[in-house]
Amino acid sequence: MPNLGREKEMLAVMGLNSMDDLFSNIPQEIRRNEPLPLPPPQSEEEIWSDAQKLLGANITLEDRPSFLSAGLVRNFVPTAVSMLATRGEFLTSYTPYQPEVSQGMLQAMWEFQTMISELVDLPVANVSMYDASTAAAEAITCAVRVHNKKALQKDVVYVSEFVPPHRLAVIKNYTQGSGIELKALKHLSDGHVDISLVKEAEGCCAVYVEQPNCFGMLDSTLVEIKEILGEETALIVGVDSVSLGLVEAPGSWGADIVVGEGQPFGIGPTAGGPIYGIFACSNKYTRQMPGRIVGLTRDSDGQRAFTLTLSTREQHIRRHRATSNICSNETLIALMGAIHMSLLGPEGLEKLASRVAANTELTKQAISSIEGIELANPMAFNFREFVIKLPYPASKALNYLDEFGVTAGLDLGIWWKSMESCLLIGVDERTSKSDIDALYSGLSSWMQEVSE
Amino acid sequence: MSDLFSFNGAKGAGWSQPDPDMNASEIINTIPSRLRRQSLPKWPRASEPEIVRHYTWLSNRNFGIDNGFYPLGSCTMKHNPRINERIVQLPGMDRIHPLQPEHHVQGLLAIYFEMQEMLAICSGMDQVTLQPAAGAQGEFTAMRCIQEYHRSRGDNHRSKVIVPDSAHGTNPASASMCGYDVIEIPSGADGRLNLEALKAAVGDDTAAMMITNPSTLGIFEHEIAAAADLVHSAGGQMYYDGANFNAIIGKTDPGRMGFDAVHYNLHKTFSQPHGGGGPGSGPIGVKKHLKQFLPTPLAGRRKIADSDPSGVGDGYWYSWDDVGEDSIGKVQQWNGNAGAVVRSWAFYRRYGRELEKMSEHAVLNSNYLRYKIMNPDPQIAEKIHIMPVNGAPADLVMHEFTLSLTPLKELNGVTGKDVAKRLLDYGVMAPTLYFPMIVPECLMIEPTETESKEVLDKFAADFHKILSEDPDIVTTAPHTTDVKRVDEVWAARNLILRHPGGVLE
Repeated sequence: MPNLGREKEMLAVMGLNSMDDLFSNIPQEIRRNEPLPLPPPQSEEEIWSDAQKLLGANITLEDRPSFLSAGLVRNFVPTAVSMLATRGEFLTSYTPYQPEVSQGMLQAMWEFQTMISELVDLPVANVSMYDASTAAAEAITCAVRVHNKKALQKDVVYVSEFVPPHRLAVIKNYTQGSGIELKALKHLSDGHVDISLVKEAEGCCAVYVEQPNCFGMLDSTLVEIKEILGEETALIVGVDSVSLGLVEAPGSWGADIVVGEGQPFGIGPTAGGPIYGIFACSNKYTRQMPGRIVGLTRDSDGQRAFTLTLSTREQHIRRHRATSNICSNETLIALMGAIHMSLLGPEGLEKLASRVAANTELTKQAISSIEGIELANPMAFNFREFVIKLPYPASKALNYLDEFGVTAGLDLGIWWKSMESCLLIGVDERTSKSDIDALYSGLSSWMQEVSE
Repeated sequence: MSDLFSFNGAKGAGWSQPDPDMNASEIINTIPSRLRRQSLPKWPRASEPEIVRHYTWLSNRNFGIDNGFYPLGSCTMKHNPRINERIVQLPGMDRIHPLQPEHHVQGLLAIYFEMQEMLAICSGMDQVTLQPAAGAQGEFTAMRCIQEYHRSRGDNHRSKVIVPDSAHGTNPASASMCGYDVIEIPSGADGRLNLEALKAAVGDDTAAMMITNPSTLGIFEHEIAAAADLVHSAGGQMYYDGANFNAIIGKTDPGRMGFDAVHYNLHKTFSQPHGGGGPGSGPIGVKKHLKQFLPTPLAGRRKIADSDPSGVGDGYWYSWDDVGEDSIGKVQQWNGNAGAVVRSWAFYRRYGRELEKMSEHAVLNSNYLRYKIMNPDPQIAEKIHIMPVNGAPADLVMHEFTLSLTPLKELNGVTGKDVAKRLLDYGVMAPTLYFPMIVPECLMIEPTETESKEVLDKFAADFHKILSEDPDIVTTAPHTTDVKRVDEVWAARNLILRHPGGVLE
């Protein structure tokens, strides 16, 4: 605070005597007169030392082989990404309300929109949502605004029953206020969407599915859904953004809105945030979509310029009739994503996806060869994640492997009680042969121990 | 111009990666044939030096607090200490998964717990959650808790949320997303909350009132306790929009004012950098009776036991505690923007119990700047075409203030927007423009505690110069920026929302 010690001088200019005079408008009955019961201030050195001590006490994903993914990945982010994105001109700027001095971030976000549009094959993308779950939730409310008028099943949205519970909880919070009725879209026992039941969704406002689903399974029957639903129902697809280096973009097989987690591009798992949600859609949803959007325009000399656009959808203009309340989003993380994507290039993306696909297959083969362990879904094609069935609760295996020095995945019993003997194993581009070996030996020796 | 999509050099030249451990034909067989991607996205093909230059060029065309004064009202654009950025790069932060077991993340949980406690103390609330990812999501979360509170009491008929007409746009938008009808009440002639209007609006159907204090005009609502009584006696809840929290820490708190729930903007008050539009972080605090509805989980702690693995050395064992069956569940997928929480923790540690000084200096700077603008030296005053008027007649303001440029507009047609754009030529960010809507031709100015007297003096002097300038110069501003005044209407009419491919015209 540069004016410490100059208070009297500044107060005198205004004809005031004390700092307390500045607060004379606060009635005495509600004044706080005692000091805050907090510790004394610290120097930068002390803060750094405490931060190292506290955060250093954490066991990180780098400290040991890790197979915990579940929608958030242990990626490698190119060094240039954070160095460029945290340049002060980006880091310390506000939302670009004054385009004349914000062309840098505006252009970067317009380029981001373009790369997301290309990635998912839909014409429009916004500047980001908070995460994949809020992107999915607001995709649903957006679709209902567009389709409800003509919908035969008014206010009804079908959501895949394999949407993980934390995401479903977010969706419920965001949809309950507008009276949206969520119905479960059933899957067959082999994991595919039950295509014979998709007919039931005909005439509803939207269908939300994930590709791959939360068990990492790629479902080829999803490409048939749009034809069954027709033009008056939105097909919303949640994606693993990296998979799109190998897997067909949902926009090419009928998706009207694509959402997903952007985190693999740009930032580490960072304890769950800040990350960013991707939101892209076809043109008919543009005016009902949430979030910031950058458009190309020109300045008063006719030269090319960028600006936030369609702000009449937004809360600061439309207030209670806004399409969303979102204001601050995750722009800086989207910028990190843009830099990462542009460093990768198309072939770099394909290679990244190939590495994940290869590691998925190698891990799956190794682990399923352990006697007594079976794949929950032996015929499935998986990307990044797969599920194994264990003879005993997965929590027991996880504890054992933790002692063994491996973070082995997610106990699916946390998500669904009925799956307490299932373990969700996730890989990433950095999963190594020695990581797989460690998981293999850990699980093998656990199996041996429990079967004795 | 540097066009990212003009880079189309060598294949995958940008960034080296190891090869996959399987050959290409085996890999493609892991993808069902109907799902194989037919053509790759048209992303740029660039080398690292090209990308570094491109984004450096873009950064040079962007203005942050690091570039100069950023008096953006209601946004609290204070200096972002660099130590915070260093801390979040630690592997114990960046390389953590939110689903790791508790004994892996004792340090992170300790920081979460400390932040929950600190925010509760500063606001006079009983329990804080750090899950909401931004201020608007905090508002939404708190309104969802209030909604479930009413439902739990069988008060399903409470369908209305009262909001003053000076409120931030997120307030009515958040209430509306919960399914509430929004009742906007007019402010009094002094810009303050109008108790009579509130009385007329409050009733058996009131779910809550949402209000910020100090108001968006930067003045303290001294009748806030009476307003809280009115709403409470009708059975409604009081919600505090914490956007202006920077003004009051240690001086008063929402608990004393009679609020039941509050959100904080860590990216305003606690220096999480705004990053060109986010990330933010919007924790909320509530009184006891709302705690059971909070999103889950919360950071908790107990005395460490001998049987526990080693903790962080403070004698406690930290945990993620489930809120229980009345919880609204989740609003963010994981546990909020942890990186923003940790940066804000580092910021708070710098002040500790002296956070009060931060608010004192924010209010000192705001009043000082307002005084300097409204009281030019006589030899300057005689050159000024006409002075703006205060947005609110109060003698003193809090951390921000509003000016109305209506006199100038009436005299020679120069609008608030023109003055804002002209300020850009003087190397500062423009204040918040045309908000709150109840002040015509409004500029809303918030200097924050991190600006020196010299910066404030210079801003006042530049402002006076603009008020003395040829109106033709001001109405055609800015003149020295990377682009001239941007045509926002053209953008909305043409909706070119992505690169069309090829050479950009």
